[in-house]
Amino acid sequence: MTITREDIAAFADGELSGERETEVAAAVTGDAELAQQVQRHRALKAMLAEHYAPVLGQCAPERLTSLLAQPQPAEIVDFAAARERRESRRRLPHWGWIAAPALAASLVLAVFLPRQGGEASPYVDTQLAAVLDDRLVAVQSPREETRVILSFRSEEGRYCRAFSGRAGSGIACRDETGWKLEALGKGSHGDPTDYRMAGAGDAEILALAQEMAAGPALDEEAEKAARARDWR
Amino acid sequence: MDETSALVRLILRKAETLNPSFEKDLLALLPRLRRFAIGLSGNPSDGDDLCQMTIERALANRSRWEVGTRLDSWMYRIMRNIWIDEGRKKTRSLQTFVSEEAGIAIGSEGAQEAAVELGNVDRAMQSLPPDQREAVLLVMVEGYAYKEAAEIVGCPVGTLNSRLVRGRDALMAELGEAS
Repeated sequence: MTITREDIAAFADGELSGERETEVAAAVTGDAELAQQVQRHRALKAMLAEHYAPVLGQCAPERLTSLLAQPQPAEIVDFAAARERRESRRRLPHWGWIAAPALAASLVLAVFLPRQGGEASPYVDTQLAAVLDDRLVAVQSPREETRVILSFRSEEGRYCRAFSGRAGSGIACRDETGWKLEALGKGSHGDPTDYRMAGAGDAEILALAQEMAAGPALDEEAEKAARARDWR
Repeated sequence: MDETSALVRLILRKAETLNPSFEKDLLALLPRLRRFAIGLSGNPSDGDDLCQMTIERALANRSRWEVGTRLDSWMYRIMRNIWIDEGRKKTRSLQTFVSEEAGIAIGSEGAQEAAVELGNVDRAMQSLPPDQREAVLLVMVEGYAYKEAAEIVGCPVGTLNSRLVRGRDALMAELGEAS
């Protein structure tokens, strides 16, 4: 079997799959020289990434940001927009028959900071973080203790995921530190085996996701891609 | 299940129409766009010129961007096209000793200044031919899969792969065992 330079580079980048990956991996394991080449490719990649990383932390010059400044809408436009939003909310009662009885009484949706060791932490615990890191919406069992309802990009460009479980539902967005809770609602109380994915407690969460989302919900491909980038 | 996904689609379609956030999305991408631009052009001031041209062209052509497709890939493609075009123009103008066209800031003073500040990595990157440099940046710095990078560049994956390998070999030779 011939291993080309392209193979080695692609292997180092995680671009090979299936049989070819197995073959190259075996060759690399058995050959110190090849293993060293893989190592050099990875080291080069790390070096380049590090070299250009500081640009991300710099403030972009004003001549660039000003091109993208949002025109401030006049008050009257705001008013119309607000009405449009109110109406669109009213037009959302597709799940209203489920949610309506519960809305007034039980759903207080607010930024809620769970306490960890007495300190308020806006970040989700490791167990929930693991679910948010790994789970794809399309491939989860309805029996899961905590389900991810949908994923989207926020207006700031962060990846956010709405989740729901017996313990609570909410929206968390990924930043440098972890999954930061943006909202927390009540848990969904339904039997997990019934056909209802969006339970009563999820209605407000979904409505809030609508407010926060900068675009459509991620589909499975987009979720996979986002997961591969650690949701950042 | 079906009911829910239909519901979610409905919500997000609504979110889309209520929230035309093209500028905001571009603003969020700006740090990455600058990184790519500076990598391509080799110094911050030329990089920001390239970034500016890219944003202006994107805003002028925003109707051509298909909602639901990746905005980042679309922007990178615009940027590398402008960069290739400007590179050709520059080469032509140098060959014929015609002065620089207005608006493209590559004054010799600026270039010298930038050259002084160039580190080893920058120098090694600038020594790569354009097709290798963009392949290296897209995959090794911007983190695109080969397939995605090939789509941005507009070439077959195999071509991208071999440009990438040649670029890497040159960089490793240039940067020595430091890498």
